Amino acid sequence: MSGLFGSLSMAARALDAQRYGLDVAGQNIANVNTPGYSRRQVTLSALPPDEFLSPGNGVEITGLRATRDMRLERRLQQERPAEQRELAISQSLAIVETIVGKPGESIDAALSTFFDSAGRLAADPTSATVRQEVATQGAGLASEFHDMASRLAQARRDTDASVRDGVTQVNALAQRIAKLNASFGAASGVEGATETLKDEIGVALKSLSSLVNISTITRADGGVDVTFGSGHPLVLDDNVYSLDLTSGPPNGFARLQSAGTDVTSEVTGGSIGGFLQTRDVLMPGYADKLDTLAYTVVTQVNAVHQTGYDMHGATGAAFFTPLGSAAGAASAISISAGIAADPSTIAAGTTATPGDNGVARQFANLRDARVMTGGTATFSDSWGTFVYQVGADSRAASDEHSSRAEIVSQMELMREQVSGVSLDEEAANMMKFQRAYEANARFFQAIDNTLEALMSLAG
Amino acid sequence: MRTTFNSSYMISAADLARTSEDLAKRQAQVSSGRRISKPSDDPSASSGSVHEHAEMAALDRYAQTADTATARLSIVDSVLSDMLDQLTSAKTTILNARGSNVTATQRGALADQLSGLRDAILADYGTSFNGNYLFSGEAAKTAPYTKNANGTVSAYAGTATTMAVDVDRNTAVTVSLSGDAVARGTDTVDIFAALDQAITDVRAGNAAGMADAGAAVERAFGRATSAQTGIGTAMNAVEIHQGRVADLRRASEGRAAGLEQVNMAEAITKMSQADTAYRAALGAIGNTGRKSLMDYL
Repeated sequence: MSGLFGSLSMAARALDAQRYGLDVAGQNIANVNTPGYSRRQVTLSALPPDEFLSPGNGVEITGLRATRDMRLERRLQQERPAEQRELAISQSLAIVETIVGKPGESIDAALSTFFDSAGRLAADPTSATVRQEVATQGAGLASEFHDMASRLAQARRDTDASVRDGVTQVNALAQRIAKLNASFGAASGVEGATETLKDEIGVALKSLSSLVNISTITRADGGVDVTFGSGHPLVLDDNVYSLDLTSGPPNGFARLQSAGTDVTSEVTGGSIGGFLQTRDVLMPGYADKLDTLAYTVVTQVNAVHQTGYDMHGATGAAFFTPLGSAAGAASAISISAGIAADPSTIAAGTTATPGDNGVARQFANLRDARVMTGGTATFSDSWGTFVYQVGADSRAASDEHSSRAEIVSQMELMREQVSGVSLDEEAANMMKFQRAYEANARFFQAIDNTLEALMSLAG
Repeated sequence: MRTTFNSSYMISAADLARTSEDLAKRQAQVSSGRRISKPSDDPSASSGSVHEHAEMAALDRYAQTADTATARLSIVDSVLSDMLDQLTSAKTTILNARGSNVTATQRGALADQLSGLRDAILADYGTSFNGNYLFSGEAAKTAPYTKNANGTVSAYAGTATTMAVDVDRNTAVTVSLSGDAVARGTDTVDIFAALDQAITDVRAGNAAGMADAGAAVERAFGRATSAQTGIGTAMNAVEIHQGRVADLRRASEGRAAGLEQVNMAEAITKMSQADTAYRAALGAIGNTGRKSLMDYL
């Protein structure tokens, strides 16, 4: 095309192209704070001449592309589950730490108070008041174990509830991704629309990878297929393979199923993986240690107590109600009904003489007896080890989270540097396209003036 | 490197969160005076702190037991002193009755005096502490000797074994005495029977009997002296262990403080540094995005 009318058309196309460039800058500025938004770039191409001595046909818009680094996006999907897993463990263990309490104000204090009362009994074995105190402190120690066991169990149930909430979110996100996958067909050929869909999928994948360890494969149309664990499908095209929840024995805690297969052990990453690790490994370990401590207190105190004689000259009965095994001991520990009803039945003497304090002294000295962990630790040593374990686990999770959060943060920063909107850059683009528009408008005006002059000659 | 509005914001926000957390932690340390508020702050120190609290509780118990033991032993010591006075008087009374120019009336008065001394010694043996007899061995609720209606003192009703309490790890002290060991020892009869016989002999003017009674009282004096020496030794031992337990308590308290408490000067300095860092981060985030090309268009 040549001639003045051709020039007018060329100017009009150029005006369109520059205005489009301005629109893209506006779109970028509008979405400067939109999560997952990747900045758009317009690509313009010069139209080649179509005849000899023609300079060309101006410009045309050849594309609109979103700036993404897929390598970074994939690395983020790999790193985020580990970071969120450690965060979930750290948050859950922070609750356990509050349950454990401060040194000297928890089970250790109850143990000390209990053995203190036994010490007072040794100093005054015939005192009814001191005997009542021993019974009361024994019941207090049992109550302290009950409270701690109950709080640990509640923390475990709360963690299970977090697993269930997480699975619900996973299924909702899977639905969202499937729906977005289905939209690619309708958006085909509309470049801006497909880029928006990709951004939205990116946001959904970010949330999903915070919950579980996932793998993705990008489809030819721009959509994604998502699998989790050892390759179990979650989203294939527009089909969703939901994670099902069942309640497993013995506590009714959530089990995760995919197409009828139990996949609980395969979810090792994301917040769900962290909550499962806490619920199924860490918290039961703490409960076992607490049970072992309570069970050993029961068996050791009873063993000493039953060698003695009470105020009536009768052989000592069990001080604590005997337990069959350590399992559940912290919840089951209680002083014997006979002791609770009549503290004069507390055995203090090695002989039937009231005033003999031999057994009361042994009872009090159990405080320092190495009866835990194969005869190598005292009760307080064992509690100290328990406190150390909880603290060390929590610290390790917190440190691991900090380290992984730094990696994720750096990657998100790198992603932002690649895909984020720079207001300076967009302002420059705005000026660039605005000035170009103005220049093209002047060119249009020049051609128009030329045409007008030509028309006036034709008069 | 391409810098966007959000990348600057992300860096500033992360810095702000980090400095804010650090400042809150330092403030909590200064206001509470504690370095550890939860086990994860320092797992080893938390575990050590548990151990120190248990140690302090055990030492406190030993200290309380030692205080009670000291009180009991002081009473026993005082009673034995009184008993020695009574026995000295008994010896003197018997000696006075042995003189050749002592009349029957005078011997009768001296016999009555001996009877009073016997009752005083009986009262000494019946001393109790917080309702527990101190001379009944382990039978704290049983009076060691009682006087029946016809004025005769019963046989020893307590136990030969004595009561001991723990005043330190692996250290026990005896806080009761077997009345029989003091009143009779290896003699065939106890001091009460010996005094009863002495009263009879004094009234009858039986010089040989009075000599035997004097010897029996002398032996009883020796046993009481020996018992008092033992009590004195026990009190010294308790005092030594009280000092040791107090030293251990202070050391344990010091270790616990070292584990749990902050060095206030260091904590305040670090809080000040954290405050400066926080203010700097606030300033940085306040400036983020303030200048851009948009401002010049």
